[in-house]
Amino acid sequence: MAKLQSGNGVQWKDRRGQRGTVESLAEHESSSLGPDSELNGFANAEIQTDKYGFIGGAQQSAGENDNIPPDVLRQREVKWLDMLNSWDKWMAKKHKKVKLRCQKGIPPSLRGRAWLYLSGGKVKKEQNQGKFQELDSQPGDPKWLDVIEKDLHRQFPFHEMFVARGGHGQQDLFRVLKAYTLHRPEEGYCQAQAPIAAVLLMHMPAEDAFWGLVQICEKYLPGYYSAGLEAIQLDGEILFTLLKRVSPVAHRHLKKYKIDPILYMTEWFMCAFSRTLPWASVLRVWDMFFCEGVKIIFRVGLVLLKCMLGSQEKLKACQGQYETMELLRSIEPRYMQEAFLVQEVIELAVSERDIEKEHLSQLRRWKETRGELHCKSPPRMHGAQAIMAAEPPSRQDLKQNPTIIVEVPQTTESQTEKGKTTKKTKTEKIKDTKNTSPPPNPYPLPSDPALPSNNLSPGESQHLQKDTPLQGSNQSLSSTEHDTYL
Amino acid sequence: MGTDLAYNFVFKVVLIGESGVGKSNLLSRFTKNEFNHDSRTTIGVEFSTRSIQVDNITIKAQIWDTAGLERYRAITSAYYRGAVGALLVYDITKHLTYENVERWLKELYHHADPHIVVMIVGNKSDLGNVRTVPKEEAKDFAESKGLLFMETSALESTNVESAFLEVLTAIHQKVASKEVTRGSISAVTLGPSSEFNEERRSCCNSS
Repeated sequence: MAKLQSGNGVQWKDRRGQRGTVESLAEHESSSLGPDSELNGFANAEIQTDKYGFIGGAQQSAGENDNIPPDVLRQREVKWLDMLNSWDKWMAKKHKKVKLRCQKGIPPSLRGRAWLYLSGGKVKKEQNQGKFQELDSQPGDPKWLDVIEKDLHRQFPFHEMFVARGGHGQQDLFRVLKAYTLHRPEEGYCQAQAPIAAVLLMHMPAEDAFWGLVQICEKYLPGYYSAGLEAIQLDGEILFTLLKRVSPVAHRHLKKYKIDPILYMTEWFMCAFSRTLPWASVLRVWDMFFCEGVKIIFRVGLVLLKCMLGSQEKLKACQGQYETMELLRSIEPRYMQEAFLVQEVIELAVSERDIEKEHLSQLRRWKETRGELHCKSPPRMHGAQAIMAAEPPSRQDLKQNPTIIVEVPQTTESQTEKGKTTKKTKTEKIKDTKNTSPPPNPYPLPSDPALPSNNLSPGESQHLQKDTPLQGSNQSLSSTEHDTYL
Repeated sequence: MGTDLAYNFVFKVVLIGESGVGKSNLLSRFTKNEFNHDSRTTIGVEFSTRSIQVDNITIKAQIWDTAGLERYRAITSAYYRGAVGALLVYDITKHLTYENVERWLKELYHHADPHIVVMIVGNKSDLGNVRTVPKEEAKDFAESKGLLFMETSALESTNVESAFLEVLTAIHQKVASKEVTRGSISAVTLGPSSEFNEERRSCCNSS
């Protein structure tokens, strides 16, 4: 008679008991929690989001205090706004500077916009006005819709944007993924596209996220999501070969235990590390990825492999295929920590040329052993500059169209440049009035004298008056109340 | 906390089947007694272990899980390597997932050991009121192919233990009865530590 043992001395916990609690809580809580959301472990009423919108899960921030001082952030914002205003010039003449600023980290308020510009998604959007709306309005192939629907509640379920079943986040995810299957019916949907689209949606509206996804799937990582998954297999081999130079010890170990790259790098690469790293690191990696292309992804992979398997000491703990894979699945937090990882990535000498050279070599090997590729993807673009060179935009394509414009009353001598008043954003106004008397509060409390003129509709300004900075708010930056798309 | 208790065998078992049938939750239910309505889509490979006792033998079950979407089948040969058991899972409320079982079997036999122990698993038995696959039909189909069969509910924890246990016991019986030569079914017997490394190598070397 077989007898069961709890092998590791783990206590069996019946989580079903908690489900009832969470469900009844959800009914009374704010609408961001749908009735079905099972928030394992959240039995109390206090649901705190971290600054990125995570309410739990492995990628929730522990409240690390490496926040950038606000004045540095404001300076960076001003610089980025300046770059975005003459994007083509910066990309053509000062690309090194752009790259450096991406390496430093894009200021959160402009991240979504910067990603859209870097990826060429902005240009695509302007050149295809109405296209997303057209795709959005079409019904879509039921075969793909079925699979997409199954995935909607399985992307970042611990992020406030996606936690509610049928909520706006999941709806937008559906729209973006559906649109892609209509845009590229021969490609259809691949499950790893969902986390990619979700990350984009955390930073920009659906239409922008759609074009961001298009660029990732077609320019940065062509073939990754296509049937046959040949591109990812090739990149796995490239990664493994590059590892030989970066960490011969790690390379030898993986070879010894016949650990196929596909067994550890699939989720890393297909999701661009969005499911692996702590969130702050994900964002820094994506900042560099959009600027410099896939070599960043390769470098992150190589750094993690080197850190985890790069010394005999570390390898003592994993003498076996399974043990090694387990180790690679639980990367030590210190190696994934933002500052450490970014520095390692910047310093690792792996270039586009290295990758392309190895790509050719692996392609040759594939043809010899497996025949022709079934899916011939276009060559990949190694970053923002390459994309722009391939598809040069017009000035009109790059014009920014801010959605909220706040006019500051002319109480002090205005330093506005000619013809730029209407495009001024809030941060530029703050810069202008810095050295004068305290800036007027654009969001006065009902008791304060109301502002004479602003471009907000009565509904909007009333709304903003309610949400003044004086009230404590634990809403994350990514909620719609605080529009990072300014 | 103990890492590895002594075990006599390591059996690699793979979970296969269409996207969304519940493979990941069967894995988490069996190895961690956890279930999550919103578990993440599996991309790449997930795995977990649990040791069980069968007739005074300790078996360490290494359960592997991967993406069910069709295009991921292109990358699964590494996944099947060394597997001695497979749970082919369908969703009793989605007939299409059952219709695809034949295709999965073909896939399985293409990549895996011909002596692999296979169980057809009809998951989500808690949703009997919206069932679209009759139990008897699926059971007959499995029997006609010489395969094991069970219906489970990862959500309610029904039959999950039994399913894995039955598969692991069947594998053990195959190995113990020497029905197949040791070379072709890659189970591992661990003796004293001097044999440890050698045995490991034979496990990974099988194709």
